[in-house]
Amino acid sequence: METVLETKNITMKFGGLVAVDNFSMKLGKSDLVGIIGPNGAGKTTIFNMITGIYKPTEGDILLANENIVGKHVALITQKGIARTFQNIRLFKDLTVLDNIRIAGHYRTDYGLMANILRTKKFHQEEKRLKAEAIELLKIFKLDGKLNHLAKNLPYGEQRRLEIARALATKPDVLLLDEPAAGMNPNETADLTKLIRWVRDEFKIAILLIEHDMRLVMEVCERIYVVDHGELIAKGNPEEVQKNPKVIEAYLGTQDEKEGKE
Amino acid sequence: MEYFSHLLLNSGIFIILSVSLNLINGICGQFSLGHAGFWAVGAYTGAAYGVYLAPDFLPDFVNLFISCGIGFLTAALAGVLIGVPCLRLRGDYLAIATLGFGEIIRIIIMNMDTVGGPRGFTNIPLWSNLFWVYAWVAITILVIANILRGTHGRAIISIREDEIAADSMGIYTFKYKTMAFVLGAGFAGLAGSLFAHANQFLHPNGFTFMWSVIILLMIILGGLGSITGSIVGAVILTFLPEMLRFMGETISEWRMVIYAVLLILLMLMKPTGIFGKHEFNVLSFLAKFTGKKKEII
Amino acid sequence: MNQDLVYFFSDLVQYLINGLAQGSIYALIALGYTMVYGIIKLINFAHGEFYMIGAFVGYYCLMSGMPLLLAFPVAMIGAGLVAIVVEKIVYKPIRHAGRIPALITALGTSLFFQYLGQGLIGADPKAFPEAIKSVTYTFGEVMITSTQIIIMAMTFILMLLLYWLVNHTRTGKAMRATSFNKNAAELMGINTDKIISITFFIGSSLAGAAGVLVGMYYNTVEPMMGLIPGLKAFIAAVLGGIGIIPGAVIGGLVLGVAENLVVGFWVSTYRDAIAFGILILILLIKPAGILGKNRREKV
Repeated sequence: METVLETKNITMKFGGLVAVDNFSMKLGKSDLVGIIGPNGAGKTTIFNMITGIYKPTEGDILLANENIVGKHVALITQKGIARTFQNIRLFKDLTVLDNIRIAGHYRTDYGLMANILRTKKFHQEEKRLKAEAIELLKIFKLDGKLNHLAKNLPYGEQRRLEIARALATKPDVLLLDEPAAGMNPNETADLTKLIRWVRDEFKIAILLIEHDMRLVMEVCERIYVVDHGELIAKGNPEEVQKNPKVIEAYLGTQDEKEGKE
Repeated sequence: MEYFSHLLLNSGIFIILSVSLNLINGICGQFSLGHAGFWAVGAYTGAAYGVYLAPDFLPDFVNLFISCGIGFLTAALAGVLIGVPCLRLRGDYLAIATLGFGEIIRIIIMNMDTVGGPRGFTNIPLWSNLFWVYAWVAITILVIANILRGTHGRAIISIREDEIAADSMGIYTFKYKTMAFVLGAGFAGLAGSLFAHANQFLHPNGFTFMWSVIILLMIILGGLGSITGSIVGAVILTFLPEMLRFMGETISEWRMVIYAVLLILLMLMKPTGIFGKHEFNVLSFLAKFTGKKKEII
Repeated sequence: MNQDLVYFFSDLVQYLINGLAQGSIYALIALGYTMVYGIIKLINFAHGEFYMIGAFVGYYCLMSGMPLLLAFPVAMIGAGLVAIVVEKIVYKPIRHAGRIPALITALGTSLFFQYLGQGLIGADPKAFPEAIKSVTYTFGEVMITSTQIIIMAMTFILMLLLYWLVNHTRTGKAMRATSFNKNAAELMGINTDKIISITFFIGSSLAGAAGVLVGMYYNTVEPMMGLIPGLKAFIAAVLGGIGIIPGAVIGGLVLGVAENLVVGFWVSTYRDAIAFGILILILLIKPAGILGKNRREKV
């Protein structure tokens, strides 16, 4: 299958700490892949390297065979990688509609002068932008709340809006950082369907980080398991579940978790 | 009457200053404390044009227009020179760096003999009048309000909301921060030029960091992020000291103490200011009564 | 040896001495800045005003005939007490509102004291009483005054005291803990509100001491005297690495020396621009300061 995104031996060091060590993975077109691992395993760091927020200390990241290491975060988004955040980073004081339109910014084709002078082009583009946004929001059942402020949406809708906003950048690869965090089982079940559906509808590759094992096992076709910054296992859900290393890593954290609480 | 029109003129100039600072601080969320510096750049370059270069045969309003253009462009240039290195800094560090640059600008002017240095710059032609000042006020507000309701404005606002998320939405945040900063600086320069040709005299000590704080107070009073708020804030704080003056010499002397207390109380009780981030919109205000809702682009 | 070279070196030594004296003052003020920033992440703009208040308390004490040895600690305590009151009334309620509102509040407080001082005392500079007869010692071309010696000695003594207090007392330990992690310190039973007040008190009394020393050095005091030294001390704190106590001392001394060298060898009219130039350079090259470590934002 055609590879859309590939990381080759990426390593991230913060001072003496190795957060991610030699991580390699491949993501094919319309793949649905998960990265799992205990807290602090380096999952979000991998996302931050792929999206350009961190520059890997070593290694290459190829998007459609082009190395994107060192490219600006915004440029990487424009080239086709979109993401959501672990702790929801919507534009809280802006409306649902504006959240989506901001994601369409880089594809908007009029200049500052056209903006100030309100030219015909400005009106055309604004009209298109708004129509596209509404169309997208319909899919996510948020079109009834166009003028609501993002911060006033219920939690589940905020998560949906964040995914919609990421899709509004027209990505080839969508990165979801713990999309089910803070959701109840019903919401998680809906989300599982939504993620599948997004992949099928938009024909994009999805890479997700998740703690909720059920969601990952149910939705992902392949899984990478990281622990202490290292890849300890990969394969389909059944293989990974049987892998002794994975069991060890997870049981370990289970103990730690109990100890914490 | 002349006194009143002088006040009105000043409040127009401060409306431009506060709206332009609001673009940087309130709308883009980049905390600048150097606005008086850009104001000074525009005032001095605009005045220098009036004193040394302006051809006599041109009518005053054309000369004023050219002077305002020069004020805008030089201050915007200063905005580029200062913004590009400083806008990498965040929050309180940016505030201090811009404060530093504002003071450096003032010290440089203090050392320039062609513009009077510490003696002050005199004999600046009187070109500003109520009509042209308010024409520029209208243009400033229109330009900034238009920008805000387009894609560039949304990009600028998204930086205030969440810079990392804005980056991740494909927005070159640095570019838009610089855009907001440079435009804000440019309009402050324009206000400077209007000010120079209204006052006919400039002194570097008229552009101290205290004035940056006063303009800041105007936008905080009105509500960071609200253009309507900045206008109201500017008008209140131009008229308030004068009203205090009518209440007697003693109160007038304590003007700055009153400002300071006002600033502190505002922060303690209502840090969002009068309008918060919202705009007062006549149409939507009326709509509340008629029950209709107009769709806003 | 070449005569010009002799002049050059004696000038150099002279500027260094002047710079160290000046820098000691910056360092004393910068210590308070850095301590307060370290503990509540607030750029306390009003810090320069505590220095001014210290100078005026000292001024009135000396005018009333109080001996310097008594007036000095009284000025320190006076500045410290004002700071505690300000902290309780103004800064404490705003502490949780975020950095920018807190910064604006501090700006307001600074303006308040400047103009309150102007209203109460008048804007004209007051002649500071000569508490100790100033003697000038001459070594060849180089001169050093007894006041300069006192300034450097007092600064040194106060810094040793502070070092002892922060590193070898329970209060100091609590201060370090609060600065490191306020919530954790609270859980460990430290009364962080009290520790913050103590920090304000100590920092401001150091500034008050600097105020009296400056009064002795320049022989004048005025309500606006805190603005520029306050800003420069802040710059010194940033230069050394804000929040780091030895950094404030290094930053202050470096700034004082740099200023005097530039003014002495080059131009005097740009004196105040030097500090801001240094600030901007350090912010752009190493925002964490000489002794600081760079941090990145968590995503």
